[in-house]
Amino acid sequence: MSPSLGIEAMSVFGGMAYLDVRELCDHRGLDMPRFENLLMQEKTVALPYEDPVTFAVNAAKPIVDALSAEERGRIEMVITCTESGIDFGKSMSTYLHKYLDLSSNCRLFEIKQACYSGTAGLQMAVNFIASGTSPGAKALVVTTDISRFALADANAVQEWAYSEPSSGAGAVAMLISDEPHVFRLDPGAYGNHAFEVMDTCRPGPDTEAGDADLSLMAYLDCCAGAYDDYARRVEGADFRQTFSQLCFHTPFGGMVKGAHRHLMRKLYKAPPAEIAADFEARLGPSLAYGKRVGNTAGGSVFVALAGTIDSVDLGEPQRVGLFSYGSGCCSEFFSGVILPEGQERLQAVEISKALDQRYRLSIAEYEALLSGEAVVRFGTKDAELDHQIIPGAWPASGAGDRLVLDGVAGYHRNYSWI
Amino acid sequence: MDSSKIVEMIIAEIRETVPELADEPITGADSMAELGVDSIERSEVILATMGKLGVKIPMVQLHGPKNIGELADLILDKSAG
Repeated sequence: MSPSLGIEAMSVFGGMAYLDVRELCDHRGLDMPRFENLLMQEKTVALPYEDPVTFAVNAAKPIVDALSAEERGRIEMVITCTESGIDFGKSMSTYLHKYLDLSSNCRLFEIKQACYSGTAGLQMAVNFIASGTSPGAKALVVTTDISRFALADANAVQEWAYSEPSSGAGAVAMLISDEPHVFRLDPGAYGNHAFEVMDTCRPGPDTEAGDADLSLMAYLDCCAGAYDDYARRVEGADFRQTFSQLCFHTPFGGMVKGAHRHLMRKLYKAPPAEIAADFEARLGPSLAYGKRVGNTAGGSVFVALAGTIDSVDLGEPQRVGLFSYGSGCCSEFFSGVILPEGQERLQAVEISKALDQRYRLSIAEYEALLSGEAVVRFGTKDAELDHQIIPGAWPASGAGDRLVLDGVAGYHRNYSWI
Repeated sequence: MDSSKIVEMIIAEIRETVPELADEPITGADSMAELGVDSIERSEVILATMGKLGVKIPMVQLHGPKNIGELADLILDKSAG
């Protein structure tokens, strides 16, 4: 029998400030007659003193703090999963290692494959634990992505227009071990679908380029292709019956709705009313946090998983099917079981409460941030951050458990706890 | 099957998917985007058309047409190949 492996503990960090997406669309003059269909509400906006490192550390902090010193010492691998890297060589895992005070006997690295990165990290970590080379070891997988794509010049915001409303920021931390209290991965139950396509990319440090139509098409092809591969590997798998809940990579809810409809039509020729009811029942819960933080890229499918675990009635274990997609492109359909004790553990993290405490940016404040004058750009050698750039966003009194960026000296980023 | 028949099928799917366009004049020279069909709805229309035709073409291979007529030509071309 395969050992029981998966997510022991999990946390989501949705930043310190957000923007109302409807307000943004109105301000941009976007004609969206069926805006409600897109299932977007708010998006997290990274403040200048928030970077992918602060997001990642702030996500992982409650998980690591809850461990005993001995357990913390068993974290033997830290994988940062991101498409928002801050250096070509040095991985963000090194900063995580420092600010989370982890053991020096540890593998530190960073991986990339657009929004698929988190699933790649999870599978690498699970396979490390499954290898049995270090019995009892744990791995920390942290997805972290922010979107600052309007910095290049005055025209950049126009080029970004197609994804500006959905681009968010956020980090998900997952402790992977042989004590999967939150999510028990089904061993060997996965399917991949990948091919080269230029749908969306980040060709420069502050730019995103892409074609929304092509990206949607690749996402739909992958959703069907990855599920077919899953069904080929897993005897008796049935998309409608096998999974009590579903979590898909969520650029915005409307896209998930489209992919779900595609699968339900393709596999069962299901009528519209049945598809709509099934979406509400099996994917509705997964949108709980995504519609508040926006697209969190590498972490998006796990933001969905956290939403599901926190909001479903979990009287007994339930099987969840997950679909992860990263532009370029690579995708995976996999599954696992969520457990009542995991729900208790995740609810203790109070993700929703932290989201409620974010500062609501006005359009004027958002526009000022977009110009990027206060932002530390990729390759910055020296900088000092103005923590009062938006006075209302800075907490009046902190508990010393949130990391912010103070400055950069000789390319070295310095952070402090507030 | 000829391209004009596929154009008719696509137009019927557009009217089905976006009820606001049920009574609007639509021809093969129109682009779905300009008619106000959003990207999710466009993919719905294409998938439904392929379903009715009984053809399976990867969606990414149907990217690029500027109007409904070109899309119909491409579907015909890919389904023949």
